[in-house]
Amino acid sequence: MRDPRVDGLAELLSGYSLGLREGQVLRIDGEETTIPLVTALYRSAIQRGALPYTQVRPAGLDEILLAEGSEEQLSHIPESERVQSEELDAWLTIWSSSNTRALTRVDPERRRLDLAKHFRLVNRRWQRISAGELSWCGTLYPTQAHAQDAEMSLADYEDFVYGACHVNGGQDPIEHWESVSAALTARARELDDVRELRIVGPDTDLRVVVEGRPWIPSDGRDNMPDGEVFTSPVETGTAGEIYFAFPSVFQGQVVEDVRLRFEEGRVVHAEASSGADYLRALIATDEGSAVLGEVAFGLNYEIDRFTRDILFDEKIGGTMHVALGGGFDEAGTRNKSDLHWDLICDLRREGEVYADGELVWKAGSFLVEAAAERV
Amino acid sequence: MSDRLAKLADVLVGYSTAVQPGDAVQIEGSPLTTPLMREVYRSVLRAGGHAKAGLVVDETQETLLTEGSDEQLAWVPLDRRWNVEHGDVWIVLDGPENTKHLTGVDPEKMARWLKGREPYQNRYLERDSLGEFRWVLCGYPTQASAQDASMSLGEFEELIYGAAFLDEDDPVAAWQAFGEELETVGSILDTKHELRVVGMDTDLTLGVAGRTWLRSKGMKNFPDGEVFTGPVETSVEGTIRFTFPAIIRGRQAEDVVLRFESGEVVEATARRGEDFLREMIEMDDGARRVGEFAFGLNPAVTEYTGSLLLDEKIGGTVHLALGKSVPGTGGVNKSGLHWDIVCDLRQGGEVYADGELIYRDGAFLDGAG
Repeated sequence: MRDPRVDGLAELLSGYSLGLREGQVLRIDGEETTIPLVTALYRSAIQRGALPYTQVRPAGLDEILLAEGSEEQLSHIPESERVQSEELDAWLTIWSSSNTRALTRVDPERRRLDLAKHFRLVNRRWQRISAGELSWCGTLYPTQAHAQDAEMSLADYEDFVYGACHVNGGQDPIEHWESVSAALTARARELDDVRELRIVGPDTDLRVVVEGRPWIPSDGRDNMPDGEVFTSPVETGTAGEIYFAFPSVFQGQVVEDVRLRFEEGRVVHAEASSGADYLRALIATDEGSAVLGEVAFGLNYEIDRFTRDILFDEKIGGTMHVALGGGFDEAGTRNKSDLHWDLICDLRREGEVYADGELVWKAGSFLVEAAAERV
Repeated sequence: MSDRLAKLADVLVGYSTAVQPGDAVQIEGSPLTTPLMREVYRSVLRAGGHAKAGLVVDETQETLLTEGSDEQLAWVPLDRRWNVEHGDVWIVLDGPENTKHLTGVDPEKMARWLKGREPYQNRYLERDSLGEFRWVLCGYPTQASAQDASMSLGEFEELIYGAAFLDEDDPVAAWQAFGEELETVGSILDTKHELRVVGMDTDLTLGVAGRTWLRSKGMKNFPDGEVFTGPVETSVEGTIRFTFPAIIRGRQAEDVVLRFESGEVVEATARRGEDFLREMIEMDDGARRVGEFAFGLNPAVTEYTGSLLLDEKIGGTVHLALGKSVPGTGGVNKSGLHWDIVCDLRQGGEVYADGELIYRDGAFLDGAG
């Protein structure tokens, strides 16, 4: 039976996230397990008069490339990809995979070549997004592999994913996300006036300077689901300690119970109950990888649990996250790094956040609703 | 099983398309073809090529053909456009999930869609004839194609892999040897000016003077085995009754009879699907003319299966295609259509070349030529 929520998600993606218009060229990327969402999106795009096409990857090719490809083949960016990157009006990426750990045992150096190629492509994509030439959105289609990572049945995981995207029935999803957008934008404008945040929680007391840095609402345009406000902190201003109760995942590898101590913006001490070596290696990636590139509030309260997928985890309502590594140009960052690693701090039970000394957040939510904003 | 797929992949990459280091290779097929696709991908990497693989999703095609506007029907996606303009190799794995998935499509829309693809097809066939682009269409056994052949999947696999000579120790050597036989047939036909095909309710004359007979040795189709040309466009006269259903994109017309005058279809009937047949023939001017005439010569394909890739290779058949002629044959017919229809000559069929009987009951006569 066809799940009507798939059509609902497709409509939300084409009508709201991408804002597809007649004549726009849309590429839809996904793995073979995502075909139900690919076809629903394709239909939605056709009905809007757009020019959609699909890139559906068979499962199991990446591991062949990584196992057998020469260095030249691993690093090769096809000319066809370059041309498409330049000409697309809209691009939808479905991140689902049929095995999230398929590349775990790949030689790290070969993996690095493959990732470097990927980042070169993605960087160009971000340039066009920033320039307003391309609308892009990343989403997830619920598959067994992701349900397994979330330690849930597929049926329960589907409820979770569609709930987080607000396509479970009830309120019109586009109206919902428009109201989310208004609320997040209002929150961001209030945070713009803050000079320093102090985050207090279990084993956590961290000061983050955000003066002069614009806050950005993540309102379901670039990600679906979405729901956070973020900025890039002043590079030298972070001081104190922070504890991350959730496991921290980077490229499939897990580090648990991460504790970081910052002085003058840089990590000066890092420990973890497991994966400490990997943690220290990531922090030592380059000059910028010991500095925060992002601080953010997770505000999607439909996401109420950790599922080992950053698309969802960083938006868990009542959490904050910081990212070690590269920041965002639109948030005024000066920190450059090949790393961007989101670490999530659960503030839902005991957390408090002070903005310039005033308590603004307690036990997982802001104390005062942001004033409605004319945009 | 996977050994056979690896062997097949090596033939497609090493022999059919001869992938070279640095080649941009596009691989595509239905989701059912992924086991072969992985092997082809691996084989391309080993040959030094840059492989890119994508799945073709039937349901998007259904959506396009039922709900698409004229502009959407005519539009060619960016990656396909790049591939036909600049790609080096295109490997298509034909393993259908449901051969009838387009049956509900309005024939007029189907015709418009095919017509919209004409420039794009012309372009890759042109680059192919210039030696800039190599492509192969490879049959992959699925339940859907087995069902059309009224066989189990296992039986259909045996048929298709048998026809591909994959059970030989060295399939490439087998294809090269078979290619020699096709050369012999081709060299007989090269000298002829006019062919006359005679069979049940069939008496058809075609001029082939000055045209080139191409030998299909497993390069563009796999399995393969035919010798074909583009007949002189104005020369076709008479009647042909096709033993096998005429199938295109899953739609079919049965028991088709065509009558030609001065190269054009002047009468077209079918016991079933006649409206569809007419819609296709009326697509454009070229759709009424013959773009290809061919002898099917693969001895391992003996039974009708409903898969054109196989049926047109049945040893003892001829087929003609309404519509576009193939570059390299000397044919100049232009059309959005290229519809191969097969006629079985194994029981009482005859072919005369310039008045001389050269072929009877599905085989060339000894000493013909």
